[in-house]
Amino acid sequence: MDKLVACQTCGLVQEVDEVPKDSVIKCARCHFQILHRRLNSRARTLAFSLAALILYFPSNLYPIVTADYQGQHIQTTVFQGIRALFQHQQYFIGSLVFCTSILTPALKIIGLIFISLTLNRTYWKKTRTWIFKVIRIIDPWNMLEVFLLAICVSMVELGEVAAVHPGRGVFSFAATVVLTLLATLSFDSRLLWDSPAEKRHYE
Amino acid sequence: MNEKMNDLPKAKIEKSRLSLFLWLIPIAAALLCAWYLGRDFLFAGPTITIHFQSAEGLQEQTSLLQYRGVTVGAVEALTLAKDRQSVAVKVKLDASAANLAREGSVFWIVRPEIKLGSVTGLRTIVLGDYITVQPGQGARTNFFMGAENAPIAPIKALAIELHSVKLDALQAQSPIFYRGIQVGEVLDCRLSDDAREVVVHARIDEQYAPLVRVNSKFWNAGGINFHLGLFSGAKLSAESAQTLLSGGIAFATPPDAQNAVSNGAVFMLNEKSEPAWEKWSPVIPLRSLPEAQTNHTAWPNLSTN
Repeated sequence: MDKLVACQTCGLVQEVDEVPKDSVIKCARCHFQILHRRLNSRARTLAFSLAALILYFPSNLYPIVTADYQGQHIQTTVFQGIRALFQHQQYFIGSLVFCTSILTPALKIIGLIFISLTLNRTYWKKTRTWIFKVIRIIDPWNMLEVFLLAICVSMVELGEVAAVHPGRGVFSFAATVVLTLLATLSFDSRLLWDSPAEKRHYE
Repeated sequence: MNEKMNDLPKAKIEKSRLSLFLWLIPIAAALLCAWYLGRDFLFAGPTITIHFQSAEGLQEQTSLLQYRGVTVGAVEALTLAKDRQSVAVKVKLDASAANLAREGSVFWIVRPEIKLGSVTGLRTIVLGDYITVQPGQGARTNFFMGAENAPIAPIKALAIELHSVKLDALQAQSPIFYRGIQVGEVLDCRLSDDAREVVVHARIDEQYAPLVRVNSKFWNAGGINFHLGLFSGAKLSAESAQTLLSGGIAFATPPDAQNAVSNGAVFMLNEKSEPAWEKWSPVIPLRSLPEAQTNHTAWPNLSTN
């Protein structure tokens, strides 16, 4: 496996020996990591998306925002927020929020877990590709971060009128956001079509 | 070509450290979830159900249960009872307040109330109605019948009964004076069973209970006393500004004070005082109260504020 690589950071062309598993290549000159493939892609994707799935439940069951307004102690979960939007006839925005903060994150997390768990089963190859297609389609609509931003803004802006606190679910919500991001970043789509030999090496 | 290759620098290969910690991330997430669950189900206080005639002013998920000004629980759900005669209010208590769920605890809803002589619960106009509690000492229970009004303050007091021909301005919470100092209050007024008299139930604060003797005289001190005499001219007198509106009772004990009375003692309520009564000044040692209890005798009723 003797080959030449160029460092993406400083451009130095250098020679790389065979890379054992769980190891990283560092540039001889600038000591930055040289990425041929994403490291431990499968294990990382699985670990991050599993953690995201676990925290997905508290982040949707516990209130995200707690507002004290005129003696009323109002706790709102994401789902209650969506229901309120529907009650105010904001059907379009309501469904948009439902898709971006409840539906697509769940689909994506489950899809990533399915792909990384079944990677060695050859007969599910087509399903994996199909799931990856779905993930690619829903990814732009997966905007948990926007919801988190809305909470932060309301906390700052409404501070004068009402006391807005992060609810009990806000930590798990933020963690779900970050873990989903990390899971996406660690996933290397080349694993989908690697030959079994390559898979063993790169996964 | 081969020579050139040998001149090239060799990239370093290092062991990646992250993979060791990788599986700690889902484990940490699971632990966090377990902690949330444990906090909610294992260490949570009990959920109690209180039946009120009306839950007006309360809101699901919003109204609070407060005790001594501290939030100790929140209203989870309001449901109409099956017989439609009451409302079941589900309150989730904080773990620290689990002790409040005992038999004998009295729950009531604090609402703004403006009466002659007292204004209570003003805070609720701004902050919303809330439930509060007077803790009991009985066995643990999760079902309570809510009280309509704040219970009579838990003051140890001497209960007496006054019989009068007519009520005048007296009403619940009218003050009772001894030498112009308020020593008690009227609890309620009702017609006697045979409708011949008005029966006024009153209580004298424990501290002043020794002032009431078997031969004490009670008279109605409410309203304005107007005397028109040939030589003394017109004379106007009132016990206090409050009694002008809400009525009041005064009493005096003669110098040859007889035995102190016990709960349920019955007295005549005279329509007005005789001059001699107001000159009586027997020496009666008052009962001293432990420090903690004297706070409770403050009036108007602090527990509802």
